[in-house]
Amino acid sequence: MNQHHKSDKDIQLELQQVNAAKEDPRHFNVLYEKYFKSIYVFIYRRTGDEELTADITSCVFLKALINIKKYEYKGVPFSGWLFRIAFNEVNMYFRKNKANRIVSIEQGGILQMAQEVEITNNTEALKLMTNALKKLDGDDIHLIELRFFEKRSFAEVGEIIGITGNNAKVRIYRIIDKLKRLMKL
Amino acid sequence: MKTKQKNALKFETDNIHLSDEQIDKHKNFNKLIHEYQAATKPLYKTPLYKNKKVFLVVLIILLIIFIIVEAIQKEENNSPSQNIEQTK
Repeated sequence: MNQHHKSDKDIQLELQQVNAAKEDPRHFNVLYEKYFKSIYVFIYRRTGDEELTADITSCVFLKALINIKKYEYKGVPFSGWLFRIAFNEVNMYFRKNKANRIVSIEQGGILQMAQEVEITNNTEALKLMTNALKKLDGDDIHLIELRFFEKRSFAEVGEIIGITGNNAKVRIYRIIDKLKRLMKL
Repeated sequence: MKTKQKNALKFETDNIHLSDEQIDKHKNFNKLIHEYQAATKPLYKTPLYKNKKVFLVVLIILLIIFIIVEAIQKEENNSPSQNIEQTK
């Protein structure tokens, strides 16, 4: 179970909080307090700028509050829906402004990926993997970040990207294979 | 360590860590509610002069109506004299 995992009880409680916010936007405060930090960190990892992150975060919560009446639980927890908004807002910002997006490489994630591509030497892993990652396209990097650097389950990766968990799993393993090939070159 | 690459991605291996204080200083639920109210307020409840876009559109429409009315009046003023000239 990872840090982002939610039990059925959590999901039910969250649904009650969502329904309360649908009735009265002031009740959104509970969800705002609960997710502000994780959404802020999610965005900051991709921008590296505090003020810009604050602006995008406030857009994310505003969009969430405006559209909360449209949210219905269909297997995707509220947090997944919120992270999807954040993911789209970040992408929209970088598309509009043609700025360079930041990819925050976590050493723990790199070592986990190194195991997947069967590199045993940890000292080499960071250098080799970083060089191989630079050859991937933006969509592949999104999946790698979510799965390995942010330690999310396949289901959560799928929720954020807007695909099924199984599809996310297949795509991530394809990227791993691609990385193996790139590292042999 | 920062590097630049073709697909507009910048790789950073330095750990990005923010303290809770750094994050919390950007938290402002009252501002969010204020923005929400401004964004969801029906158009008819907003005074015309406070909404720049609506104000500009109304101004342009009024200007077009004024020009059309002026043109019609000018035409009407010209046409009787032409008729009198023709009868002479």
